[in-house]
Amino acid sequence: MKYALLVYGDQSAWAELDEPEAARLREESMPRWLALFEEMGKADPAVEGRELAAAVDAKVVRVVDGERVVTDGPFAETKEQIGGLFVTTLPDLDEAIRIAALVPAAERGSLEIRPIVER
Amino acid sequence: VTPSLEATFREEWPRAVAILTRVLGDIGLAEDVVQDAFTKAIERWPRDGVPRSPGAWIVATARNGAIDRIRRERTFARKAELLARLDDVQADEDADVSTIPDERLALLFTCCHPALGVEARIALTLREVAGLATHEIARAFLVTDATMAQRLVRAKRRVRDTGIPFRVPPDEVLPDRVPDVLRVLYLVFNEGYAASGGERLVRADLCAEAIRLAKLVCVLMPDEPEAFGLLALLLLQDSRRDARVGRDGELVLLGDQDRALWDTHAIDEGLRVLQRAKALGRPGPYQLQAAIAAGHAEGADPAAIAAVYDALVTIDPSPVVRLNRAVAIAFAGDIPRALELVDGLSELGGYSYFHAARADLLRRLGRDAEAAGAYREALARTDNLLEQRFLERRLREVEAGVRESGAAPAHGRRPPPRSRP
Repeated sequence: MKYALLVYGDQSAWAELDEPEAARLREESMPRWLALFEEMGKADPAVEGRELAAAVDAKVVRVVDGERVVTDGPFAETKEQIGGLFVTTLPDLDEAIRIAALVPAAERGSLEIRPIVER
Repeated sequence: VTPSLEATFREEWPRAVAILTRVLGDIGLAEDVVQDAFTKAIERWPRDGVPRSPGAWIVATARNGAIDRIRRERTFARKAELLARLDDVQADEDADVSTIPDERLALLFTCCHPALGVEARIALTLREVAGLATHEIARAFLVTDATMAQRLVRAKRRVRDTGIPFRVPPDEVLPDRVPDVLRVLYLVFNEGYAASGGERLVRADLCAEAIRLAKLVCVLMPDEPEAFGLLALLLLQDSRRDARVGRDGELVLLGDQDRALWDTHAIDEGLRVLQRAKALGRPGPYQLQAAIAAGHAEGADPAAIAAVYDALVTIDPSPVVRLNRAVAIAFAGDIPRALELVDGLSELGGYSYFHAARADLLRRLGRDAEAAGAYREALARTDNLLEQRFLERRLREVEAGVRESGAAPAHGRRPPPRSRP
């Protein structure tokens, strides 16, 4: 099965940290990210992962009555915003849940597992 | 369909669905081809006689049906793979059924996967593992056939689309997943035992189904003490089924039950199964609940039963268990302490039994006006007509008590009965 693992977190909390503090936290979690990448690569060598730029830099596009309307993002006014995603092929949902729980961001935010429709 | 044929179908259904699910990777498709095989059996067996090995006949017929279907329907890439896998399935109609791999346990874990909603797990387990027809499950849960059919279709689709695995979980997650399976069986039993809606207090067919499934789980997981604990609990509770409903269909509480109506055969079996569980040496919540039920069956000292509840709350401190412990403490004689504990469980405010238990304690303390209020709260929260009748009767009794002691809210203890003039 192909799954998208969507990483949600509170980006405003990151934005409020001063740079040295943010760098320290990033440094601190790095070994766990590396361990995650190794585990994901073992489960699926073709796994793809992307980190998204801050949601405040997002643009939201709608077409209303044929008119293009562009507003500043993020799309939803929720605290937790999508900050990255993985696309990976895994044997089943149990494996997807196991891998998702290894993502360090799952402790501060949450991971959403979405099966990808294959026709 | 004759009863014996029906029993055969029930037995063979999960085995066939399980094998076809593993091979086809789709529980919905597996059910369809097994259903077709059963339809053929209903046509042919009465005419040609029941085959020597009904299970092998069903699997072989379902396999052939699946091959036909896949040849017709699938695109080439998947087709070759599925046909190759079907090639490995037992094709001999006369084979001994023991030569067919038993994958019913994997099927049970799939149907009880936590990624499914609880209602979906129950429906799917009754359909695929117990082999009940959709309309039978619908009737048991008081929903229309269409609603139940829809629920099953959605559940099967979710299994397929989210990649819920078809397998017995590996050892490292097995201890987490066994309780999910046992819980589904317990919910099926409870739905039968304390039907949340409808006219009958007990739906014996669901209780019997839950017991049958629990026995299957014990056969499939002979080293799992909680499976035996659950089976013992169900047998012991079920042994009191006839005594729980009075002559006029009213609810009879444990303390008021006619013990002659208890099913001694079920009690003996429950006690034996509980011994088997204990012998495995790993206690758990179902075993403790079964020990409590065994205590009631054997007329144990209420204080001893309350002590088992003390052990149970340490491993399962859920509000419902704490409520039952409070009731056991009341049975053992300490009603004020029981009321104090019940009053600390306001999170159960949506639950009829909480208010009924509280009302009973207040009544026994002579606080009739408060008891009446609590009975009304309980009444507002049950749709079961027999429970309603029981609660209404109690409500009338305490209301009479309130009138007797004057219109003022009752407090303290019940006044001594006045002598008639």
